Amino acid sequence: MELSETSKIGNPSSLHSPGSLSRNILENARKTIAKKLNARTTEIIFTSGGSEANNTVINIFRNSTILASRIEHPSVLKPTEKLGNPCIKIPVSKEGFIDKSFLKNKLETFLQENPKEKILISVMMANNEIGTLEPIKALSKTVEEYRNKGLKNLFLHTDATQAFGKINIDVKKLKIDYMTISAHKIGGPVGIGALFLRSGTPFAPLILGGSQENNRRAGTSNALLAEGFRSAVQYTIDIESEKLFKEKITPLKDFLAKNIKKQIPSSILLTPNKSLPNILSFSFPAAEGESTQLYLDLENIAVSTGSACASGDLEPSHVIMATHNDAEIAHNSVRFSLGLDTQKSDIDILLDKLPPIINRLQKISTIKTKDVK
Amino acid sequence: MKNPWAYTETVKEHFLNPRNFLMGDETKFKADGEGIVGNPICGDQMLIKIQVKTRENGEEYISDIGWKTYGCASAIASTSALSELAKNRTLEDADKISAKEICDYLGGLPEHKFHCSVLGHQALHKAIKNYQEKKAPEGAS
Repeated sequence: MELSETSKIGNPSSLHSPGSLSRNILENARKTIAKKLNARTTEIIFTSGGSEANNTVINIFRNSTILASRIEHPSVLKPTEKLGNPCIKIPVSKEGFIDKSFLKNKLETFLQENPKEKILISVMMANNEIGTLEPIKALSKTVEEYRNKGLKNLFLHTDATQAFGKINIDVKKLKIDYMTISAHKIGGPVGIGALFLRSGTPFAPLILGGSQENNRRAGTSNALLAEGFRSAVQYTIDIESEKLFKEKITPLKDFLAKNIKKQIPSSILLTPNKSLPNILSFSFPAAEGESTQLYLDLENIAVSTGSACASGDLEPSHVIMATHNDAEIAHNSVRFSLGLDTQKSDIDILLDKLPPIINRLQKISTIKTKDVK
Repeated sequence: MKNPWAYTETVKEHFLNPRNFLMGDETKFKADGEGIVGNPICGDQMLIKIQVKTRENGEEYISDIGWKTYGCASAIASTSALSELAKNRTLEDADKISAKEICDYLGGLPEHKFHCSVLGHQALHKAIKNYQEKKAPEGAS
């Protein structure tokens, strides 16, 4: 969309021409997103982003049973803790995979004791810190199985914010009830996301007011952001981003992981094999994550860390605490994110800069490691 | 480009070029007193080692200081700053160094960092105490 056109767009809810133009833009975006997910257009609700979409789903199940994995994004965990009754956290393995037998045991108990209970299971498609791909297909099979057994009010939500555009997502094949996505994770604008809502599933709007989004999300629709979202989604379709990530980025990530482990033997790999193509997380003993992050920043390498020192609330990463229950491993964790524009030469630069930084931090650290005598 | 970090230029300088730190095997630094504070679980830990000499007027002072730190940029920079502030000071004077003095020396620290990462003065206090205990004749109180 050209900038000159932006002055012509009006409120999509208005019947005049500028409003109509806006509405077309909005509905066109919805169509593109629906097509990408193999959903119906009526099953897509625009939101202000992933956090709002997650909050919306949890809010539908307020005062009901909510089972959420311990490594969900805070925009799932915080509302779940507040609104779930009860709020049940699903434990995860060291690799971040949900404990399926824990979940089945819980469902079995509900089946025996309270089969009419309204239950939401919320498990993310891919974890944003360590990249773990959760077994969503197997999970939806379990949900179907228990529905058939008698848990008629059992529903599945997945936060696919991190996975969208990186791996193929077909909501019909996956048999998901609710799904969250966000534009900025695929190169679109910040400030818009969407909630997939399978037809026939319970719904209650989070934001009350006007009748926008078919009475499901009040507030003037933002056609400009929707156009940005559409454009980013269309780009992932045009370039077949999922295929590119798999074929081009996964080998780079594997190469990086192998060489970090080789050059820094004490390092702890936090990302499992079954993970997103673009996320690699390590913990470097005795080298605190914020220090590593800032040293790398000087080399124009941007990474993130699960260290408490780098977080606003001074708490270590809840994800790494859930997988390893070890604050030191969390403090020392560093996440490397690769993009479609990442080249082998970028990886080589990182592999050149990282080991001396870790070695230096380990050498001035009060904590001993096997790498530093 | 302007410094985009949350830290002052002085913090950045001390983080990138820390003074008086001990690399690798810290036992090579022969200390008269040493102290350690903090906890890796909390994300910060500092070890301070001091050498003490006596001036002609009888005053004891820190003739050399070495340290190790596990922690964030603020922890490393504040321990480095402390080592500069303590060097050549009398024990009595060095023992009075406060978190505020370290913070002022660094040109300020983000509020949340001030409380958790400025611990070096406590390690120094322990090192001075350790020196004094070692020096005191056995049985003396």
